[in-house]
Formats: sequence, structure tokens, C-alpha cells
Amino acid sequence: MPSPKRIGKITFGLLSPKEIRTMSVRKIIWADTYDDDGFPYPQGLMDLALGVIDPGLRCKTCDQKAADCPGHFGHIELAKPVIHVGYTRLIRKLLRVTCRSCGRLLLSPDEIQKVSLTADDELGGEVLTEKDIKKERACPHCGELQLKVNFEKPTTFSEVLLEEGRKSEHKLTPADIRARLERIPPSDLRLLGINPDVARPEWTVLTVLPVPPVTMRPSIILENGQRSEDDLTHKLVDIIRINQRFKENQDAGAPQLIIEDLWELLQYHVTTYLDNEVAGCPPARHRSGRPLKTLSQRLKGKDGRFRGSLSGKRVNFSARTVISPNPNLSVTEVGVPLSIAVEMTVPVRVTTHNLEEMREFVLRGPERRTLRDPCGANYVIRPDKRRLRLGGDNLETIAEQLEPGYTVERQLRDGDIVLFNRQPSLHRMSIMAHRIKVMDGKTFRLNPAVCPPYNADFDGDEMNLHVPQTEEARAEAAILIAVQENILSPRFGGPIIGGIHDHISGIFMLTHDLRWFTKSEVLYLLKYGEIDHLPEPGRIDEDGTPRWSNKQVFSMILPSDLNMVFRASSCVNCDECRHVDCERDAYVRIVDGQLVSGTVDKKAIGAFDGAILNRIIRRFGMDRASRFIDDVTKLSIRAIMIDGFSFGIDDEDLSRTEHGQIEEELARAKDDVERRIRIFEEGQLEPMPGRTPEETLEMQIMQVLGKARDRTGEIAGRHLGLGNSAVLMAVSGARGSMLNLTQMAGCIGQQSVRGERIMRGYEERTLPHYRRRDRGADAHGFILHSYKEGLSPTEFFFHAIGGREGLVDTAVRTSQSGYLQRRLINALQDLKVAYDGTVRTTMGRIIQYHYGEDGTDPMKGSFGDPVDVKGIVESVLKEEV
Amino acid sequence: MARHQLDSFNHFLAHNLQKVVDEQRVIETDIENRGKSNEPVWVELGQVRIMKPLVREADGSQGDLFPSEARLRNLTYAAPMQLDMTLVTSGERQEPVVTTIGQLPIMVGSTACNLFGMNDDERTSHGEDPLDPGGYFVVNGTERVLMTLEDLASNKIMTEFTERYNERIYVAKVFSQYRGYRALVVVERNKKNLLEVSFPSVAGHLKFVDLMRALGLDSDHAVVEAVSTEEDILTFMMQNLEESACDSVDCGIMYVGKKLAPNQTRDYQRKRAEFVLDNYLLPHLNYLMPFGLNEEDDGYLEAVRGVRLAKAHFLGRMAEACFDLVLDKRRIDDKDHYSNKRLKLAGDLMEDLFRISLNRLTRDVKYQLERASMRHRDLSIGTAVRADVLTERLLHPLATGNWVGGRTGVSQLLDRVDHMAVLSHLRRVISPLSRSQPHFEARDLHPTQWGRICPSETPEGPNCGLVKNFAQLVEISKGVQIDDEVLSALYAMGVEGLKGEAVR
Repeated sequence: MPSPKRIGKITFGLLSPKEIRTMSVRKIIWADTYDDDGFPYPQGLMDLALGVIDPGLRCKTCDQKAADCPGHFGHIELAKPVIHVGYTRLIRKLLRVTCRSCGRLLLSPDEIQKVSLTADDELGGEVLTEKDIKKERACPHCGELQLKVNFEKPTTFSEVLLEEGRKSEHKLTPADIRARLERIPPSDLRLLGINPDVARPEWTVLTVLPVPPVTMRPSIILENGQRSEDDLTHKLVDIIRINQRFKENQDAGAPQLIIEDLWELLQYHVTTYLDNEVAGCPPARHRSGRPLKTLSQRLKGKDGRFRGSLSGKRVNFSARTVISPNPNLSVTEVGVPLSIAVEMTVPVRVTTHNLEEMREFVLRGPERRTLRDPCGANYVIRPDKRRLRLGGDNLETIAEQLEPGYTVERQLRDGDIVLFNRQPSLHRMSIMAHRIKVMDGKTFRLNPAVCPPYNADFDGDEMNLHVPQTEEARAEAAILIAVQENILSPRFGGPIIGGIHDHISGIFMLTHDLRWFTKSEVLYLLKYGEIDHLPEPGRIDEDGTPRWSNKQVFSMILPSDLNMVFRASSCVNCDECRHVDCERDAYVRIVDGQLVSGTVDKKAIGAFDGAILNRIIRRFGMDRASRFIDDVTKLSIRAIMIDGFSFGIDDEDLSRTEHGQIEEELARAKDDVERRIRIFEEGQLEPMPGRTPEETLEMQIMQVLGKARDRTGEIAGRHLGLGNSAVLMAVSGARGSMLNLTQMAGCIGQQSVRGERIMRGYEERTLPHYRRRDRGADAHGFILHSYKEGLSPTEFFFHAIGGREGLVDTAVRTSQSGYLQRRLINALQDLKVAYDGTVRTTMGRIIQYHYGEDGTDPMKGSFGDPVDVKGIVESVLKEEV
Repeated sequence: MARHQLDSFNHFLAHNLQKVVDEQRVIETDIENRGKSNEPVWVELGQVRIMKPLVREADGSQGDLFPSEARLRNLTYAAPMQLDMTLVTSGERQEPVVTTIGQLPIMVGSTACNLFGMNDDERTSHGEDPLDPGGYFVVNGTERVLMTLEDLASNKIMTEFTERYNERIYVAKVFSQYRGYRALVVVERNKKNLLEVSFPSVAGHLKFVDLMRALGLDSDHAVVEAVSTEEDILTFMMQNLEESACDSVDCGIMYVGKKLAPNQTRDYQRKRAEFVLDNYLLPHLNYLMPFGLNEEDDGYLEAVRGVRLAKAHFLGRMAEACFDLVLDKRRIDDKDHYSNKRLKLAGDLMEDLFRISLNRLTRDVKYQLERASMRHRDLSIGTAVRADVLTERLLHPLATGNWVGGRTGVSQLLDRVDHMAVLSHLRRVISPLSRSQPHFEARDLHPTQWGRICPSETPEGPNCGLVKNFAQLVEISKGVQIDDEVLSALYAMGVEGLKGEAVR
């Protein structure tokens, strides 16, 4: 392999006619492509010197076969120059700022001095613009009177003559324009931001047209054997045809009118060849009426060369399938179906040390029927880069040939590191490196604790998997991208991976209050953890059975010298904290790795909160944290299975007393609302500052009804208590809130649209079921029933109105956030933090002197503070401070 | 469940098909100017009839076509349309010729369908599910449903605010619709209390009072009376009258003419102004023109004057609405109120399509006749009518969903995932609002949709709230043609005709 060349710099310029002719291998003069035998015409558009696309033929220029010949340019000598549409604005500018006779810039040396001083020429951009030229009528150099240059899309330039007060337009031919551009001296061009060494302005007017190699405009052969040419070839055919006719007419001395017509026609064809979507120019069409896809259409847009083929491409060594949960996996693992594992490969170089192992891989071949089978290999790459597909009867022979220098493409096996991704990839945790676990089934399996960073659920989500192919890539994946390295989110510096849903319910049920387990129960709970021996039993019953407390069980998975104190999510912020004697058991205290008091819940181990997790990461590192997450999730799943956990319709049942209380509460609210309406109607309502009486009334009504609903929730919550699954979930923070419970058991409450009660509808009323101008609670969407009781038809309708708003909101928000993300990325994609700590663009321009203006890494600090003083003191004193 | 689709299509077959033909009535030709005999030639159109769906086999034989066969053989379930056409040459009427002008796609289950009136057993024997609701078309073997389109009510004055350069502009709008033509007429009050009117073909806007003059209200009194005699409004009107430059009908017309065709001859300006006033301003009032009245006929001028007066009074009402809004006597109209919505069902869509297609056919017939005459052949209707022209024009929109007027997605492939999907699809209503803009208000469930639109069924995602479904018990009423009855009832109640309007 030749050593890769390093690119020193890139210069952009224009192709000069000379260059076009030098790089051309053939002058093209025939518009035809293939003769009757299907052989390309010499000097035709498919000339064999331009490259070959048919297998079997050899290129006349480089003597290579179709697969190896890159193709070569040809050229067409245009009968007369034509304007390149892409440069019309530049041409317009140049025509307007230079003299029509001497070609010099229309500024005196003093003026140039002045303008170039004010202009910021540091970046080498445009220095002079059209605006810098005063509407002078005469050239300061030769005194020639200047004319106004009009530009009409797409390619017409004309001069405006003033004759006896009347305006008349005189068209400039491309030849005239070229002649004028030729006269501009190089020194003036530099002032205009043009480097005349690489881009003479007259080169924007084409005299020679390069013909792209056939390899970039291959013809395809249809089923019926007919050839179908590429759009570019079609367009080139048009150009050559008109060009030939133009030449003939010119030689025959045709009248000026015909010449002009042909010239314009040639201009049209060259214009549409370059860009078929120019304003003011009808697009060239295929015979079927479809507009042709010409050069600029190939580059532009989402599926164009840049955005479609260069910035984004299809990728090899990737897999995609549906995801499903498996709590028995570690968070750092991913379950991969066998069918995917046998298809995807990792290249392994054969060395003297692994020769025998590689032979075994090769001998096993691509077949792998069960999970227990060791992995085989699909391909072997010989030192001469020939790729051999394994299979059938060649296994032994190839295994025999194997020697250092070969590469074996081995199938995936347990422990291989892969990248796992879910779109939209909005933050860096959307792609993380997992270790493979080959499994049965057809879905990717992942521990539900890694759902939050991917924002995944299992309602049909699909995810992608990529297999790194080089040692460097694997190392990078293991060190930087691995799941355990991404537990902390750079967004807020807390753990984003942690217990969710059942993990929290389970650990809550396990650690709440005090319970005692027998040895078999304890072993059942800890079966999956890596616990070597049990501690001393916390209690021994009268009959001699040793028992361990629930807090002891949880403490077994904690690091032994962990010390911390915090309040659980079930804490209600009493006025006076009773600490260890908290009646809700919400005061969590861990001393030397022993849970002394308190309940473990969302605050302790949940994703996004996880105080214990956070402390373990900071004190014991990421690996210990990921092990802790594994242990916690497994323990909590076991714990939840001891008691069982379910929720049904009768969990929302309330007794008659509660129903009576709720009704009473709602009736009171209704009376209150009516009273306030009466006050308003009598004009007695005192408006709040800055509001009209109506607005004040609305706010009061909303307030009264909101309070009434909350009170029904309290009544319901009082009755249900922690024995109720919904209450347990709400208190532990696993899922839902007390509001959800209120709505299920108590009263759904006010439905609103954009923060207001429902006001639209028929004249003066929402629905015809109410009286006109009724301001009452039920007429504007207050639902006094609960989901359990069921809704009346009007209530159902109001609920649908309120529900629709939420639906619309989500739909509109998702599309907006996607667009926002795209714009943000486009703006920031090239910025990087340099070694000196500044944020710079690729050009080296400094954007920030210090990253984020403060150089803070949210993952390293403690929620904004550089050092977690409180945490350190706590772990030393083992007391709350 | 698909009753609304069937009723609408049946109504189209029974009434509107003939109505569209009657609108066309004659196909005139330019043969008189070119042919050797200089005889005027035209074709009169008579009755249309719809046959039952047929299939024509390769051997030329014909047979009844049933939907199941159309689905299986990728055929189109369409019936031939026959039209009586009479060729008139130099005042000489020839015998009416019954010509097949094309194939009309037939809605499965409609009166023209071969399944119509069959009982369950008969349907089963023709390969049809007796529980199939019908209400869709079969085009090239695919089942296509015409979506019900929801649109803002036309010919109704709506008021609103618009914010322009930090100023509140009060606007009264009306979408005036007549036959296929739809025009937006706007009356707005600018900051100087002046009224401005804009409508298609006028660049910018016209002064209200001058336009009223052009429409035949020459006295200040008449103009004010057409708006309102309310005191507050009177002051506004005074300001408007002061700004006016015209004091006669003629002057008004010239004002309009100057706006429409500047730098043209006076004669042309006058002609152009009259043409625009009669055709582009509030076209829905043109129904007042007696049917078939020609320029040469007696009473033509009378009728034109009557219509212009009606337009003037309508504009007056718009101006009043605008001022009422300014004076807080009227609130802005709720565009999402369902009484301000009209639904375009399959029959209405087919009517639009048929009108354009028939127009194409008549142009083709005219061209064919002229060509025949140029070549000195005998003129014959049979050869001049090319049925494919109409058939192709009818089928293509139905097959692709690209309706006339550039609307896409009008016909959709019937969702046959399950029975519920079919029913839901047949009862779908789509709103023409763009899905890319938020349009929060339009997406909300409006209380007036109670009993009409299902509160629960709407897609999630970008179409949320714009695509709706009919409620179970919805009933769709349609306009009725009993103008005379309504008029006589109104007159009996003491309504007076406008001054200068011909009492009918």
C-alpha cells in the first residue's frame, strides 16, 4: 500500500480553458453515443478514451478494466463563448465596478486607499463591493463615460444607453463580456477578493466545456436490451448538437439574427446542463416530462452529494432490530440474537501466538446452530487482500493455509464490545458501548436501567448496533464510550442510569420500615448478587431461627465504608424533622456501609436522582457504581417478587364515608364558585391588580376548583395508604403522582385549554346542554367524577377537549425540537476545545477563552459547587451536618 | 355507516350531473369565421344518462361488471355516460344524437351500482361481502375513497382583526363561491376610518364609496343606507364620502376601470371594469342573473343592474359588519365554529371534477369539429366526441388523488386492515390547513363538534386535530333549491325588495 499523502492546503479556483484542454483526453464532436453494433463512436460522448463502463472493454487512455479505470475528461470546443450560470453574480459585480473601456477599477488610488482601510481584509474575503463604487459616470483612469449594466435572469446582461433622454438597452454578448473581463488588471482583481493566479474572471465565460468521464454518467441497459442514457449525457448531446449547427451556420455566414438565436439556444443548454433549477429559465425536460437532474441537482439538497453521500452514508457492520428488556443482564451488556452474531464479524490478525485458535475458528466455519457452540469465522483475508468466503468444503484447506499475515473475520461472541445506539441521538449517551451476550430470540435485550439515557421503551422501539473493526476503535469504545463511563450525565452532573419503575417500587418495599427474613428468604433475595457470606443475623428468634433485617439485606450490596445521610422522596418536609424516628421512615442514614434507618427509593437509587449512586461514583468510581446498579436492580426485582405487586380497578375503591366526604367537598366548592359568580354579577368583585374583573373571577374559580380537587385527593389518599400500589408508587417515586391517584379515585378536576377554562363553543355557552352565560363550574369543563366512577357525556367531551390539547402539544413540540437540534448542530459542529482550554473553530478562531466561560465540567463538580464539602464532612463524621 | 358517501354520490348522479351539463348547455364553434359557407355551427347538449357499470372484453363483447370482478381483474368500476347532442348548422337542427361521452367511475353501492337493491344473498353470489358498506370507487382494481374535505363556509361574512405595523385593522371577509369559481372579497377599515375593498384581479384595493357608485348607487343617501343608518356608523360614513372622488355611476365605473387597466383607452377601461364587476366581484350573487339570458335579449341590462345593486348592498352589509366590529357591537367570528364549516363530500368533489372534465371535452369537440370543417368533411357528432378524453380526465385524479385545483390526497387507497379501519376511513374528514404549522386553535376539539365529529378519534402526530372522523350519529344536510318558496315566505313576512331591484 502506498503511504497516505498528507494534504498541505487546498486552493479553490476556476478552470482555465487551457487547463480544460490539458486534462482532456479527447475532443468530442459527435452527438451520438453508440453505433448499431453497440460500440461507442470515436470522438462521441461515450468515447472509449473517456473511460469504460462495460465489462470486458479496456480504457483507451489508461488501459484498465471498467472496475479500475477512474474515467477521464474530454472537452467540447464551443463555437462562441457562453456564460457560466454559477458566476452570473460575480460577472455582474465585475461589470459594474470596472471601466467599460480600460477595465480598471472605477476608483481613484486615493479612494482605494480609503476603502481598503475601512474594510476588514484579514480573512481575505471580499474587500470591495458594488456599494463602494459611487454612481460615477466617468472612469477616473481613462475618462470613459460609464453605462449602467442591467442583469436579467438567468444570463442576460445589457447596457443602458441614454440617447436624447430616452433609454435604450443594448445587449452584451458573452464574447463582449469576456473581452471586458480580460481587460481587468490583476492588481485590481486582488482588491476585489479574486486571486488572478487561480481565477481569471474571463474564465467564468466558457469557451471550452469539459465533458465529464462516462463513469460519472453511466448508461443503463433496460430489461428489453435498450440502452438508457444518463440525464447528463442527454444534456451533452443537446449541447453538441446545437454547437455543431452553430458552427456550420457560422462558417456558412448565416445572418446575424440566426446566429444570435443559436447563441442563445447554446447558452440555454449550457445553463441547464450546469443547473436545471435556475430562476427565469424553464427547466430542460426528459421526453416523459420529468425535469432532468443535471450537475447542480446532483450536489444540492438532502439527497445530494454533500448531505446524502458525503456527510451521511450507509454503514457496514451494523445491525438493527426491536429491543426488549432483560433484567438479568448487566447494564453494561446487550443481548444479541444468535442470527445477528453469526452474520457480523470482527477481524483478527493471525500471529504465531493465536494461529491454533484461528485455525479452530476457520474449521468451525460460518455455521453455528446453538448458543453453546463456540464462534466460527465467515471470511479469511489472505495477505494479498483476497477475501475468501468460508463455507462448504473449503474449511480444511483454508485452515491449512493459515499463517501469520492472514486475517480471520471471526463471528461475534460473548464479551465483544459493540456500540449501541437509539435515534434520535440527542446527547452523547445515545450511543454507548456494551459487551455482547449472545442470546436466543430475535431482539436486542437490554437492562431496563439503561432505558433513560437512550430514552427507550419497549413498545416497538428499534435500536442499532455497530461492531468496531479495529483495535483502536475497541479501545476507545471501552475507555470512553462504555456504559459505566456514562452513568453521570454531563447535563446536570447526576447519574442518568439507575433504578426505574419496578426497581424503585421493589427496593422501597424491601427497605421500608423493619422486616425480618429467614436465611432462605435472604438467600433468595441475594441469589444473583456476588455476596460471599452473610453477616451476623440481626436477631435470633426464641425458637433459635436466625433472622436478618431488610436493612441488613440492602446493606450487603453497599460498599463497606459508605457514609451518608439524606432524605428520601417520601419525605414530606415536616416543620421539625424527627430524623431517625421519622414516622415515614424517610430519614436515610448509612453508616459504614450499613443502612441504619430510612427507606431506599427514587432519591437514593433512581435514574436522574440517585443520591447513593452519585456518592458511590465519586468515592468508588464508575465500575463500582455499575456493579451497584446491577446489584440493586437484581435485588429489587427479587424483593418485589416476594410480596408481589399489582394494580387493579378495585385498588381505587373507596368506602361510602369517603365518597360522602368527596361529594360534600365538591358541593362546597360548587357553592363557593356560585357565590363568587354572584358577587361578580353584582359588580362587587374587587379586581386583582392588573386584571379585569372577569379575569379575576376566572382565576378565583380555577383556584377554588383546584383546591377542591386536591382535597378529594387527600381524602382518597388517607383512605388508601401505603398498602395501595398506586400510593406506594407515588410515594416511592417509581411512577405516577398523587395527582394521578386523585383523578382515579377522587375527582378529575378542571379541564383546561391553554391555561384557561374551556370557553369556546356556541354563542355565550360551551355546549347546548347549559344555559347561556352560565359561568358555573360544570359548564366550563369541571369534571366532578373520577375515572373509576366514570364520566357523564358532557364531562367526557370536556375531557376529550383537554386531552386533545396535550396531544397537539406533543406533536408540535417533537417536530420543533428536532429542527432546533439540527440548527444547533449545524452552528456548533466544527467547534472544539483546544489544548490551551479555549474553544476554537477549525480555522483557529477563538470562540470562548475558557470552555463554557467558566471551564466547569458538570460531571466533576457537585451540582454547581467545585467540591462537595458537605459530602466529605458527612462521610468523616458519619452524621448529618 | 357509509350513508353520507352514498347519499352524496346519488345526489350527484340524480341532480348535479345534469346541472353541470346545463351550465355548459351549448358548444359554440368558430366555424362561421373560417369555413367556406360562413355558417354558424353549434352543438346543443341535452339529457345525460348513466348506464350500469360494464366491462368490455378484448373480443368486443360487453357484460355487467361487478365490484368484485373489477377488484380481481384490475378493472375500473365505471359506467358509460350518454348525452343527447344536437348539431345545429346555420339554424338548422339535426336529429339529437345519443353519444357516449365517457366512463364515469361509480361508487360501490350507489344507485348506479350493479349491486343496488340487492339483498344479502344476491350480493354474496356476486362475490361481495354483504356487510361491506360501499361508498368507495374501484379504479384499476384498487379501492379508492374520496376524503370528505372540511372548508370554511363560503358566501358568509366573517370578521377578524389583523395586526399590521402594530395597528389593528378590522376586516370583513367573504369567500364568494359560484359554480367552480371561488373568490375572496375583503372589506377593511384602515386607520383613517376609510373603507377599502379588495378582490381578485384588482391589484391593491378600491375605495369603498367609489366602488358602490360604480355598482349603481349614485346618491350619498343610497350608499349610507346600504351600510347602516346607525349614528356612530354615520360619522364613519361621512369621512368615507368625503374621500370619494366620484359622484355618478359613470364616474365610479371609470374609477374602477382606471385601477384595472391603467394607460388604456377609455372604452377599454369601461369594458374591463364592467366585466370585472360582473364576473369577479362577489360572484355568488350572479345566481340572480336569469338563466340563459343573452346580451342581446330584452331585459338584459335590467338584470345586470339588479345584480350590481345586490352586490352593492352585500358590500354595504360587509362594511356594516366591519364597523360593528370596530364599535364592539360584534365579536370576531370563530372560524372553528362548526356552523362556519362546510363539508365537501364525494358527490361535490365528483361535480368539480366532472365540470372541468366536461369543459375539456367541449373544447376537444370544438377543435374536432373545426378540424373536420377545415378539411371539408361532413360534420358529425359521433366522430367529434372522443370519449377517452373525458374518461381519462375523470380517472386520473381518482387514481392518484391529485384533484382539480391542485389538491392532493383527495382520493386514498381504502384501508382494509380490518372492518373498523374501513368504516373509519370512509368517515374521515380532512382539513386543508397545513400540517407543518402549529394552528393550535384549529386542532382543538371545538364544543360545536359535539354530535358531529368524534371527540376521541384523531391521529397522533403532525395531523393531530386536522384529520377527524364523523361521529356515529352524524347527519349531513345539504343545500336545497327552493329559493322561490323561501322568497315568497320572506315577502309574506313583510320583507321589502331593494330599491331598483326587479321584483320577482
